[in-house]
Amino acid sequence: MSLGVRDILNKHRLLSGTSACPGCPENIAMRLISTALGENAVFVVVAGCSSVIQGMGPNSAYNYPVLNIAFAAGPAAASGIAAAMRSRGKDVKAVVWAGDGGTADIGMASLSGAAERNEDILYICVDNEAYMNTGGQRSGSTPIGASTTTTPMGKRHNKKNIPFIMMAHHVPYVATASVGYPHDLMEKVKKAKAIRGFSYVQVLCPDPYGWMFDPSKTAEVAKLAVQTCYWPLFEYENGRLRIADECLHCLDKRTRKPVKEFLKVQGRFKHADEEKVRELQEYIDEMWDRLKLLYEEKLKF
Amino acid sequence: MIEKVISGNDAVALAVKLSRVKVTGIYPITPQTYIIESLSEMKDKGELETEIIRVESEHSAMAATFGAAASGVRAYTATASQGLLYMHEMVWWVAGSRIPVVMTVGTRAVGPPWNIWNEHTDFMSERDSGWIMAFASTPQEAMDLTIIAFRVTEDERVFLPMMVGMDGFILSHTKTRVYVPSQEEVDSFLPPRRQPYVLDPEDPLAMGNMFQPADYMRLRESIHRAQLASKEVIVEAGKQYMKKVVPIGSYSTLNESYRLEDAEYAVVTMGAWSLDAMQAVDELRNEGLKVGVYRVRFIRPWPEEEVVKALDGKRVLVLDRSVSFGRGGQLYTEVRASLPNAEVKGVITGLGGVSIGKNEIKTVIRKFVERPEGVEWFYPKEGEKVELRSPRYIK
Repeated sequence: MSLGVRDILNKHRLLSGTSACPGCPENIAMRLISTALGENAVFVVVAGCSSVIQGMGPNSAYNYPVLNIAFAAGPAAASGIAAAMRSRGKDVKAVVWAGDGGTADIGMASLSGAAERNEDILYICVDNEAYMNTGGQRSGSTPIGASTTTTPMGKRHNKKNIPFIMMAHHVPYVATASVGYPHDLMEKVKKAKAIRGFSYVQVLCPDPYGWMFDPSKTAEVAKLAVQTCYWPLFEYENGRLRIADECLHCLDKRTRKPVKEFLKVQGRFKHADEEKVRELQEYIDEMWDRLKLLYEEKLKF
Repeated sequence: MIEKVISGNDAVALAVKLSRVKVTGIYPITPQTYIIESLSEMKDKGELETEIIRVESEHSAMAATFGAAASGVRAYTATASQGLLYMHEMVWWVAGSRIPVVMTVGTRAVGPPWNIWNEHTDFMSERDSGWIMAFASTPQEAMDLTIIAFRVTEDERVFLPMMVGMDGFILSHTKTRVYVPSQEEVDSFLPPRRQPYVLDPEDPLAMGNMFQPADYMRLRESIHRAQLASKEVIVEAGKQYMKKVVPIGSYSTLNESYRLEDAEYAVVTMGAWSLDAMQAVDELRNEGLKVGVYRVRFIRPWPEEEVVKALDGKRVLVLDRSVSFGRGGQLYTEVRASLPNAEVKGVITGLGGVSIGKNEIKTVIRKFVERPEGVEWFYPKEGEKVELRSPRYIK
């Protein structure tokens, strides 16, 4: 079964009246992912924009059960839900929904613990590369050179590569996706839901305000991130890496587009000097070197 | 019901099993560790139907327990000391969500400096979290209160979590005679799980999202009102427990009075040393001193009416095994507030495992009779405090 545009528009998993900002990538991701998950899912929403996007209680714009919870608690709470659902004889997937701050920083220990236990849960990281809900401070997932409110002249350290960290946990399924590629994202979520055990999907969510671009350009920027090889689209399953057609050209350094093309459509890199841009390009090249080895099965996590 | 010689930790583990808990999130910390080891052993032997989630921290232990409870099943965890402090955020989360959960706190000092021995400061630091808080004085009571806790928390007049305190090592590790009920006896006392709402795809609801200030405040008031309402529920459950499960104990009141009717002086205690205090009182009575004991079993809800009825008109000594720095003992503060016109003296002692028994309590009571006012720190050995020579000791 494939999901088309009609399904996304008709299923009403996300009701009107969310409190999302214009052009919000998390709102797009929520609509796509909740549609792909269908029935039998419970969301654990870790502190962040998505705790606010659902609107004022006791109402909710999310048309599925949601447990809102503190930052570091998501994967553990989902483990409890999964255990309780098993005990009640219910086939329900517990889905953790967290930002990059909740994932790469404050929630890392509970994420790692749940992965080690191979809990039957799906973890979705909506990565907008900073603490956007608190006004755009740096996170472990902010790339080098990007300015945030706590790194106004640009971050000095590289982005933490969480998908690699998760692959090293030997969980059944790790994938990256982008809101610029809805079908790819939804297929991956559907696949992850069907897996018995821990699955991890990290979705690139370009934020118009934090990244400083026009809110009408969210999908374009999300696409450009993939086209310039800044953001890979891959799946790692049973020790095999599959790379999406859209970024196969990134495997070869000669056909890789320079990251500069991606940086110039947004305002957050305006302080990044030549050296920072070079360091970011090196980070990307190194990531692809490793992905290439995995793709050619010369390396396994 | 059978008689067994077991530790407080064993008694609690058996209570969890008999209460048909479905999920526990577990993480070891001294001195409650043996509870979760015992549950794990029962699980591996196939004697326990509980799902055990072996998490990576106490924060996650409470989160996993909460996730399970929010999904509609009976859930339990245990902690102590640093672990309870690390869990603090989730302790509040559970009460704010009005989801029934039961937890044991094997009380222990909080570092630095490191100290694994007993005191009540960890437990008392959660007084404002919204949890119902009981404190056991024997392994028997630790077991009884754990079973009673499931019934109280799942009563629709309450729907709040409950923690049961148990003195670390003194109760957790000491083996004594405990009457263990049969499964049928506990089943006749504990109805099936009830809670205000359940995570279920068939009935989508959002738990814990953003609320307007006045609505938030209303929810806070509802927690306070549920705490007050729980007093009646606790007494009801206690009476039923004595009727259907273990026919001993003093559960027809929240707290316990001992030789108070004609007493001129009253000693207020909480936890295991209450029994030492009762022995001390017996001996002092033989010497002609009219003194009794008031044992606090419930610190939340605070049994105001019972406290006033038991202590009004007496000279009151409150023994605290915990401290609120800059104020004094927490129990002292509570009793003081309930008896604005009485003479109330507070003594802080027994912190970090400082050994206090019958004789030390007699000394404290004698000093109190001489000077029945103020807040004091009592060290059983003369000069003990000046012998401290740690490089980090600050006078």
